[in-house]
Amino acid sequence: MAELADKTNLHIKPQKRMSPWAVARRKFMKNKLAMVSLFFLMTISILSFLAPYITTADISRVNIGSMSLEPSAEHWFGTDKSGRDVFTRLLYGGRVSLLVGISCTMLIIMFGTLIGALAGFFGGLVDTMLMRFTDFILNFPLLVFVIVLNAVFFGKLGGVPVLIAVISVLGWGGVARLVRSKILSEKENEYILSAISIGSRPSKVILKHLIPNVLSTIIVQATITFAAMIVVESGLSYLGFGVPAETPSWGNMLSASREPDVLQNMPWIWIPPALTLIITILSINFIGEGIKDALNPKSLR
Amino acid sequence: MNNIIDLKNKDKAASSHTKKETLLEVINLKTHYPIKGGFFRRTISHVKAVDNVSFSVKKGETLGLVGESGCGKSTAGRTILKLLNPTAGKIMFDGEDITNLRGSKLRQRRKDFQMVFQDPYASLNPMQMVGDIITEPIHNYYPKKKSREIKQEVLELLNRVGLPDDAYYKYAHEFSGGQRQRIGIARALALKPKLIIADEPVSALDVSVQSQVLNLLNELQDDFDLTYLFIAHDLSVVKHMSDRIGIMYLGHIVEIADKHSIYKEPLHPYTQALISAVPEPDPKRKKQRIVLQGDVPSPENPPSGCPFHTRCPMAVDKCSTITPELKEVKPGHHAACILVD
Repeated sequence: MAELADKTNLHIKPQKRMSPWAVARRKFMKNKLAMVSLFFLMTISILSFLAPYITTADISRVNIGSMSLEPSAEHWFGTDKSGRDVFTRLLYGGRVSLLVGISCTMLIIMFGTLIGALAGFFGGLVDTMLMRFTDFILNFPLLVFVIVLNAVFFGKLGGVPVLIAVISVLGWGGVARLVRSKILSEKENEYILSAISIGSRPSKVILKHLIPNVLSTIIVQATITFAAMIVVESGLSYLGFGVPAETPSWGNMLSASREPDVLQNMPWIWIPPALTLIITILSINFIGEGIKDALNPKSLR
Repeated sequence: MNNIIDLKNKDKAASSHTKKETLLEVINLKTHYPIKGGFFRRTISHVKAVDNVSFSVKKGETLGLVGESGCGKSTAGRTILKLLNPTAGKIMFDGEDITNLRGSKLRQRRKDFQMVFQDPYASLNPMQMVGDIITEPIHNYYPKKKSREIKQEVLELLNRVGLPDDAYYKYAHEFSGGQRQRIGIARALALKPKLIIADEPVSALDVSVQSQVLNLLNELQDDFDLTYLFIAHDLSVVKHMSDRIGIMYLGHIVEIADKHSIYKEPLHPYTQALISAVPEPDPKRKKQRIVLQGDVPSPENPPSGCPFHTRCPMAVDKCSTITPELKEVKPGHHAACILVD
């Protein structure tokens, strides 16, 4: 043994190893549609994030002097019926829509993964209780609940954080079920038994062995959830139950098209948010599809 | 290292095993899986995977456990390591009853018994580097150890099982089946356990690689003072590895003895059928092949009396009513058959 110890070289350099993640990244980079989508999503995010530096117009101040102007050099996308610059509101609206989407997705994925992993790993009574709780949450009609809450808290709480909290609390059920089912099949592998037998605690088995191996499913689910949450936010705002009307969001901007006059004669007010919304959701879905292909060892693309 | 001499003369060691200390003793072990069904998921019946199994393993010896698939040998191994909960019975490890150990006490004890798994593809986490796989057990039990020391230890282990240094930074999918099994062995060795349960460690490997891995296991037994419980369905592999052999059928041990007795004079009809199925390398020697009729009965609804009587060529009427006990027929040779006396 002593000889062996002398010969072993502690300073071996990690060569460029293809970890499963590195393989997936390379596959994803080759997917043109996904890369274009990623580029588009990044552009939208950066523009929205930097909105205060790009435009100086006031988003909330009503300007009677310049109502419903057509697109021009001064107002790139024209102005809406209250005289606010549509381009400015589009950028700020992106901030709110993406913020709601990302926050809801993160909370939903975190909570859903936690519940699903615990239920799947421990099984038995823990599983039964957590899953019945999940069923209870899944049975709550999200839209009705949000609308009722909005009516109850009208003027008192309101605002973006409350919307995020309500959507997240009611939205994690599907993710929990999905993660549970993946964990149930993954934990049958012998490496989980071996992790237990080498003395790893349950928390370590879940975090280090189970979650990394179901992470691909979770990531794909996260992109789908992200797109869905932006739609939910826009839908609620369009109906007037989402973010407060004075806060710009893509859904709030779209709600202007409820007036037939705007819908027919002033397309510059509603087409920009509608198009941005469509392309954003499409790109998120393409990215999700790309990740799914990249993480699937059987796909050759 | 003081019993290396014993191990070098393994046969001698086997014949004198009664003098040595017992490391593992299993007493009337039962593992039943409940079958749930019906509207309220009630337990309808049980699959009796392991039923009333008793045996003991001495320090430094290898006990082979043989049986056809579904006879409960893997379940027995996993139950002994407390990866499954026993339904009844007692597991004594190194003088301590570990049957009802739970939580951190059990985790502390796990250090002394490890397992080499059957499937080298499913038993290594595909998301971990080999270095991390082998580091994990050491880190679990010696969290204060310096990472430099651990790395040194892991590299030694890798070399000892025949893998190069640069395996440390590779992922499991970059290795062949035999090399993966070596990684699994290194992981089991990392904690310097007293007992290793090898659950069909070579059945998933090519024949040419099988012997390399078996020889490695044999060498390691000498170097690390290991005791093996060797589970397999290949009789020639078990003969090569074991000092004593237990034959399992439908959750029961039907015969247990040292390997020479088993091969020279098998007492139980099932053992006789198994031994007669081993291919004979000498074409001139004609052996009588005992071919068993029918299938293995379901362990959910095992036959009454002797579990083997439905397929036994020598069965008599009372076999279906009397359950034979495992009794010592000759010194060190136990069999469970009413016809053997």
